[in-house]
Amino acid sequence: MAEGKNLYETVIVTSAKLGEEGSAALVERFKALIAEHGTVQSVDDWGKRRFAYPIQKQTEGYYTLINFESSPEFTAELDRRYQITDGIMRTIIVKRDPRHVNAQKPQKAHKAEESNIDVEAIAAEAVEAPAESAQ
Amino acid sequence: MADRPEREVRRGRKGRKKVCSFCVDRAEFIDYKDVAKLRRFISERGKILPRRVTGTCARHQRALTVAIKRARHLALLPYTSD
Repeated sequence: MAEGKNLYETVIVTSAKLGEEGSAALVERFKALIAEHGTVQSVDDWGKRRFAYPIQKQTEGYYTLINFESSPEFTAELDRRYQITDGIMRTIIVKRDPRHVNAQKPQKAHKAEESNIDVEAIAAEAVEAPAESAQ
Repeated sequence: MADRPEREVRRGRKGRKKVCSFCVDRAEFIDYKDVAKLRRFISERGKILPRRVTGTCARHQRALTVAIKRARHLALLPYTSD
């Protein structure tokens, strides 16, 4: 890895008012901006999602996750651009720990599987609990 | 989880030792994007559940708190729900 470069991930939430195309165009602009100052590694489009709470009286937005590598100075500039761009509702820039980068992907892929395991574990716990207290 | 026979557990004053679900999974970090998982650690009102309820270890509870707060910022999770 080049020195002075870090791994980051950023999630951009754009207003549903922009429509699918408008939002994609906006994300495309930021992708280009990131590519200028670093390298875009992957882009994950989550599509339209309902907000957990209304933001600016809106209930939906388009979510896009971008993984990239850049110098730490660039994140401040990226954040500044986020702030002054209309149509962006929420953003987050998080540094990714290189040690966890590989662990991250399988985790997402096995999301459904994991929750299955957990249900079983809880069920087992529930069965065991009365047995134990009987002793 | 909620319908575990609590009364019996309390009577013996022993209770079952809860284990941290993140330690069981060998989770090194907690992803703020994994809404399904994070949901299990917030109450109906959207509050973060305490360690004594979920059995999460101190280290993972700290990481979990950060993850939940990030998810809230992105409107993936509620700050509150009435």
